[in-house]
Amino acid sequence: MQPIISITNLCKQYGEKTVLNNINLEVYPGQVIGYIGPNGAGKSTTVKVLTGVIQDYTGQVQVAGKDLRENLMDIKRMIGYVPELAELYDLLTPREYLHFTGTLYGMEANLIEERMVKMLDSFGLSDNIDQRMDSFSKGMRQKVLLASGLLHNPSIVILDEPLSGLDANAVILVKELLQRLKQEGKTIFYCSHMMDVVEKVSDTIVLIDKGTILANGTFDQLRGDSGQSLEQIFSKLTMADNLIERAGSLASAMTNNNTLEQL
Amino acid sequence: MNKILLYLIMLPKGLWKRLGADVTQLKAILSVKLKMDDRKPLTMGRPQNNAKKKKSNYASTLTFIIGLFVGIMYIFPLIMFESEPYMGLFSFFTMLTVMLTFGLISDFSNVLIDTRDKLIIFPKPVNDKTIFLSRALHIFIYFFRSVFPMSVIPWIMWGVLHGWKGALWFPVPMLLLTFICLFLVMGCYMLLLRLSKPEKFKDIISYFQIVFSIILFTTFYFMPRLSESNIFEQFDIRTVEWIKYTPTYWLAACWYWVEPSAAKLQGTGWLSILAIFTPFIMLWVTVKFFAPSFIRKISAIDGVEVEAPKKNAKKVKSSKLYLTLGSVFNRTAASKAGFSLAWLQTARSRSFKLKVYPGFAYVFVYFFYIFLSGNVPFNEVLERMADSKSHLLLLYMTSFVLLNTVTNINITEQYKASWIYYSSPMEKPGYVMGGAFKAMWVKYYLPFVIVVSAFVLYVWGIGAVIDIILATTNVTVYVLVLMYFGNRHLPFSMPEQMKTKAGMAIIKVIAAMLFMGCMGAAHYFLYFMWLKILLTLLSVAMLWTLWDSYINTSWKQLKMAEDAA
Repeated sequence: MQPIISITNLCKQYGEKTVLNNINLEVYPGQVIGYIGPNGAGKSTTVKVLTGVIQDYTGQVQVAGKDLRENLMDIKRMIGYVPELAELYDLLTPREYLHFTGTLYGMEANLIEERMVKMLDSFGLSDNIDQRMDSFSKGMRQKVLLASGLLHNPSIVILDEPLSGLDANAVILVKELLQRLKQEGKTIFYCSHMMDVVEKVSDTIVLIDKGTILANGTFDQLRGDSGQSLEQIFSKLTMADNLIERAGSLASAMTNNNTLEQL
Repeated sequence: MNKILLYLIMLPKGLWKRLGADVTQLKAILSVKLKMDDRKPLTMGRPQNNAKKKKSNYASTLTFIIGLFVGIMYIFPLIMFESEPYMGLFSFFTMLTVMLTFGLISDFSNVLIDTRDKLIIFPKPVNDKTIFLSRALHIFIYFFRSVFPMSVIPWIMWGVLHGWKGALWFPVPMLLLTFICLFLVMGCYMLLLRLSKPEKFKDIISYFQIVFSIILFTTFYFMPRLSESNIFEQFDIRTVEWIKYTPTYWLAACWYWVEPSAAKLQGTGWLSILAIFTPFIMLWVTVKFFAPSFIRKISAIDGVEVEAPKKNAKKVKSSKLYLTLGSVFNRTAASKAGFSLAWLQTARSRSFKLKVYPGFAYVFVYFFYIFLSGNVPFNEVLERMADSKSHLLLLYMTSFVLLNTVTNINITEQYKASWIYYSSPMEKPGYVMGGAFKAMWVKYYLPFVIVVSAFVLYVWGIGAVIDIILATTNVTVYVLVLMYFGNRHLPFSMPEQMKTKAGMAIIKVIAAMLFMGCMGAAHYFLYFMWLKILLTLLSVAMLWTLWDSYINTSWKQLKMAEDAA
C-alpha cells in the first residue's frame, strides 16, 4: 500500500535554531497517527509544513503521491486542519464563519449549509448557529473549529490538541467521531499531550523531541515487555525520568518568603 | 527614550503611593507594557526579523519630524496676537486641547479599556488604583511622545517673540495642558463606565467616540471661520470675558508670572493657580472616585453570558444583501469569501467603525469649511460654488473615505485568525483581497459617492456627470495603486500597533492626500469634453489592468509585502 503521507529528511530552521531535524515518516490511509512530544518538540511545525502554512523547509513531503510544494492547492483541499489555540473571527456567527471557510475550500453554499447544520446540531450548537461567537465559551469555539476542519470532507484530518477546552461529553463525542472517521478510511494526524487519549485512539504513535523522531510504532511495539503506560514511555524517551526529583526541587524553591517586605 | 520616560514618570513615587498605588507593581506593569509595545507582533508564517529594528528607529525619527511640522500649524495664533499674548496663548492652547483630546479619543481609548490583561494581571494581587494608574501613565507616555515634537516649534516661536523668559516659561503650561487633556478624556470615560452597563460599554464608547470626533472636528473647523472677519478685526479680549472660565484661559493666565501688565482682563492672574491645581484635582477625582470599581467594570465588559438562542435559528436566511451582492460582484469562490468576510466584519467591528465612520463627516466638514463664510448666506455660497469648479474638490475628497476603509480592513486584534487563509487551498490570495476591496467599494464608497454626486448634480447640473465618472474612476485607481504598492495584505490579518501607527499613518495619509490633490488639480484644467471622455476611458483601462494585477497577487508577492510592512 502506498503511504498517504510520506515525509523524507524534513528539516526546518528558524535562524540558527533547528526545529525539525531530518524527520522521516510514512502514514498509511485510514491510520490514526498519534503525534506526541514535549513542548517545543516540533509537533506544530510539522503540522504547519503539512498544511502548507510553512513552505520554506528542506526535504521532501509527499501527500497521496504528490509533492507538497508542487501540488500545494490539491493537497490543501485534501486536508482538514484544526489548529491548536486557534483563533477565529469571532464577530461572525458560526453560520457565517463556516460559510466563509467552506467557500475558501470552493464548496457550494447549499452543501455548506446542509453539512454545517448537521454538524453543529451534532455538537449541540444548533441553537447558537446565528449568534456571534464573541460571547462563546472556549469549548463552543473549539466545536466550531472542528466543524470548520471537517466541513469539506477531507481525506486527511490534522488535529492539533482538538480536545482543548471541551467538556467531558464533547470529549467522548470527539473520540467517537475519530473512530467513525477512521472507519470511513480517513487518515488522522492527531497531536496531543493527553497521553491516555492518544494511547486509546492511535494506531501508530510517533514521538518527537528536539525536532527528531525518537520512536515510531504501535503502542504495543513501544511498550515492548515493559508494561509501562504511554505517559511513562514518553517521560523515559524524552529523558524526563527524573521528574520526581525536579518536582521536589520545584517545591523547595518556594520555601523562601514571597515579598520584598517579608525578606 | 522609554527608559527615560519611565524614570521620569516614576519620580513622583510619593504621589502615586498617596493615590493608593503600589509603586513597585506600577513600575513593573509599565515597564512590561512599554517593552511589549516595542516588539512587533508576528503575523502568520513570518519569523522574527532583527533587521526591523533599524526601520523602527527610522520610523520614530520620521514621526518626530512630522510632529514638528504639525506644530507649525499651531503657531499662527501666537504670531497673530503677538501684541496680545494672553489671547494668543488662549487660542493656541484651545486649538491644541481640541486636537489632543481628539487624538486621545481616537488612538488611546483601547488602552484604557483593554480587557486582554484579564487573565494576566487581574488575578494577581494588584489593586484597582495601581491598574488604573498604570494604564493612565502608559497612555501619558505615548501621549507625551506625540505632544513633545508638536510643541517644539511653538516653543521656539514663543521664545523668539518674548525672549528667554518666554522660552523658560513655555514648557510649564504645556505639561499642565497635557495632563488636563489626559484626565479630561479619562474622567469622561470613567464616568461613562460607572453609569453604563458593562456589556454595553464598548458600544457606547464607540458611538461616543464617533459622535465626539465629529463634533470636535466640526467645531474646530467652523468656529474660527464663522466668527472670523468682523470679530477678529476689531477683537478685544474684554468683549469675550467669559473665556476666563475655561481651563485653556487659566493656562494662558500663567503668563501673568512673566508679564502681568499685558493682561487686558483685569484681576485674572490668580487663575494661573487654577491651571496648576486643575490637573491634580482631576487626577485625584478620577483615581479616588472612579478607579475603585475599575477592575470589576473592566472584567465585566467581556464577561458577557451567551445570549439566549433565537427561536428561528435553524431557518436559513439566504436572502441577505451581502450574499446577493457578493454573487453579483464576484466570480470566484475566494473573492466571494473575501467579500462576505469584509462586509460582515466591518459591520460589527467597533474599532473599524471608530476609525472609518467619522471620515464620512470629515469630507463634508472640510468641504464646507472651505466655502462657508461667517457673513455670507448659504444660498449665495451655493451660487458661488456653482460658478467655480469646486465640485472636483468634493469628488476627489471622497478618496479619503475609500482609502480609510480599505486600509482599515487589514487591521484587527484577531489577526491570528488569518491562519485559515494559509491552510485553505487558495491559489492566489489576491482573490480574497480583491473581494474585500470590492466589499468596501460597494458598501461604503459607492453610497457615499451617490450622495455626493446627488449634491454635485443639484448644484452644478447634469454637465458634471463626466466629472463624477472620471473622478470616481481616478479615485478608485489611485486607492488601488496605494493598496497595491503599500498595503497589500489579506483582510483582517495584520496586528494593530500602537507605537508605529501614529507617525507612519499620518505620513501616508498626508502623502496620499497631497497626490490626490495634484490629480484633482490636473482634472481642474481639463477644458475640453472630448479630453475628459478620453481620460475617463484611459482611467478605466488603467483600473482594469491594475485590478487584474491586484487580484492575481501571489503568495510570494504577499509575503514580500508583509515583510516590507
